[in-house]
Amino acid sequence: MTDLTSAIAIRAEGLAKTFHDPQRGVVEAVKGVDLDCRKGEIFGLLGPNGAGKTTTLRMLSTILAPTSGRALIDGIDVAEDPLEVRRRLGFLSGSTGLYPRLTGRETLRYFGRLHGLEGDRLEAAIARAFDAFDLHSFGDGRCEALSTGQKQRVSIARAVLHDPPVLILDEPTTGLDIMASSDMIQFIDSRREAGTCVLFSTHILSEAERLCDRIGIVYDGRMLAGGSLDELRAMTGKEWLEEIFRELVQRADAGEGAA
Amino acid sequence: MSSAPRKTAGAGVLRAALAVAHKELGESFRDRQTLLYTFVLPLCMYPAMFWIMVQGVLVVQGQKQARDVTIGVVAAAETAEAAREQLAVNEEGRGRIEVIALPPDTPQETQVIAGLIEAEEADALLFLPAERNDADPAALFFDSTSSQSETARGRVVSALEQWTAELRQEAADARDIDPEALEPILVQTRKVNPSKDDGALVLSLLLPMLLVVMCVLGAFFPAVDLTAGEKERQTAETTLLLPIPRLGLHLGKIFAVCATSMIAATLNLLALGLSAGHLLGQLAGLGDGAPKVELPLGALISIAPLAALFAFFVSAALTGVASLAATFKEGQALLGPVQMLFMLPAMATNLPGMELTATTAWIPVVNVSLAFRGLLVGSASAGPLLICALSLTASALLAIWFSVRLLSSEEVSLSSETIPMARLFRILRSR
Repeated sequence: MTDLTSAIAIRAEGLAKTFHDPQRGVVEAVKGVDLDCRKGEIFGLLGPNGAGKTTTLRMLSTILAPTSGRALIDGIDVAEDPLEVRRRLGFLSGSTGLYPRLTGRETLRYFGRLHGLEGDRLEAAIARAFDAFDLHSFGDGRCEALSTGQKQRVSIARAVLHDPPVLILDEPTTGLDIMASSDMIQFIDSRREAGTCVLFSTHILSEAERLCDRIGIVYDGRMLAGGSLDELRAMTGKEWLEEIFRELVQRADAGEGAA
Repeated sequence: MSSAPRKTAGAGVLRAALAVAHKELGESFRDRQTLLYTFVLPLCMYPAMFWIMVQGVLVVQGQKQARDVTIGVVAAAETAEAAREQLAVNEEGRGRIEVIALPPDTPQETQVIAGLIEAEEADALLFLPAERNDADPAALFFDSTSSQSETARGRVVSALEQWTAELRQEAADARDIDPEALEPILVQTRKVNPSKDDGALVLSLLLPMLLVVMCVLGAFFPAVDLTAGEKERQTAETTLLLPIPRLGLHLGKIFAVCATSMIAATLNLLALGLSAGHLLGQLAGLGDGAPKVELPLGALISIAPLAALFAFFVSAALTGVASLAATFKEGQALLGPVQMLFMLPAMATNLPGMELTATTAWIPVVNVSLAFRGLLVGSASAGPLLICALSLTASALLAIWFSVRLLSSEEVSLSSETIPMARLFRILRSR
């Protein structure tokens, strides 16, 4: 039991977020999400647009403060020590979020330095990233001039430069072409062996089926169900993830509690 | 082809153009920025600003007229007494003109007179000949770089105009002729300060305003780029994930904007200071009497600490306001009126009679401009400069708090739409 607890890299307990919208008034974007994600595990958050996936990931990565509930990253409370959480985190989204006027190398140097890498250690880490993600041919060009796939590779390199124990990916394949998308899936898969905990959101069912050790179905700000694909099958009596998803959503709409 | 179908086709194009224009106008007038620049600014903000400026001018002019001035009269005893009677008129709402008789043998030498004005024996000196004499006309000496002396000159010239008109009328009556037939009585006004001081005066009208304008313009685009531009480029999330304290992140942005502001102001001041003498000489084709403009290094170094505080104030304020915008374009639109709030007071400081006092030193923007002006002409004193520093420090800290508060707000930092001003106070109040 102790081992299991210590192996948990991401834990959310009753995580909720409320926004004030001038048009709609008070909006409950996330209504109490619970989840555990272990080291070396890939956990997928599956849900339609507006389900609360991005808000949940943003709370876990300290971009947004939870309205209520608690979240721990590698044992650190996101509300109590957000800075330490950010040090242990790699975050990636489909939009890459690269600074367009910096080169790939400058981007890595900037992030590496802020993560406490300096001198030879920093240069060695950058060199490793250049090799690992094959940035040599374009890594010294400004990010604004790179193709989508190249940007994504620089972005991945940036997210893992400091070798974080937790990776949070927000719809990482959105907007990518087939090759770039395939590279991203391979990258996520490779992190399992490195012992990294990967939490990623998607609305692409095939990605979730292929990659995830466990899947959480998010709908209308709630986690309807969570578990391995087999557990979800047992829970719903359905075979395919698409059917499982539909079944859980229908139950939720009908007011039935999910597992 | 007959002309009728052509006319019909032309009417069709016109109808289509009008329909398109109608739709585009309707859509434009639903755009906040267009409404702001088309209606709100011209109808509300600019008239209000100019009204405030005019009121300021009236107050300054009133204060100028209410000042007591001392005129030293150098003349024979009888003429000096006549001058006292004519000049020392007490009018309600106007300051006294005190006339003091100076020894008739006081030399008409610039250095001596400048010494008397500097020693505050008198604000201006009036030399009156015993009789009208074109070769040796009445002469009024003053220091054009001193506000008090300049005020004295204005009031004495006005009083002398009335007196000389009366004298002319008396002379004409005595000869029973039209006063217009007589030559007017000449009063020469002469500056006692060297032309180098005049050069400093010219610079004092240009550089302080330039300091303010360039600080604002230097901060303008970086402020938008680092806030609204960041949201537009979708890098805001990346920045918020940096493993550094949020306060450090927000202060870093303000420092960057401030650095650009200071670089822009410094380079512009140096460039103008260096080229002003050359350009002024060429433009006016002036001879020996032309103002000599030299690079005021001393004043530039002295103003640097106050300018740095002002740059912080401007940068933090602009960064805060720009953070409310969701796109670069909207950021520019939001900062348009804000930059005017900085520039108009700076322009107002060029009004005659405006100087750094214990009162004006408290007013942000106005104070840094007047302090620079005072340092350029050598009239700034320690007390008001200290108040100016305090006021600018408080303004900069307040602006930094304002900016950090907004940048720290989730509603502001990740918003995909521009935050209306109506929500500004709620955000500032929220925990």
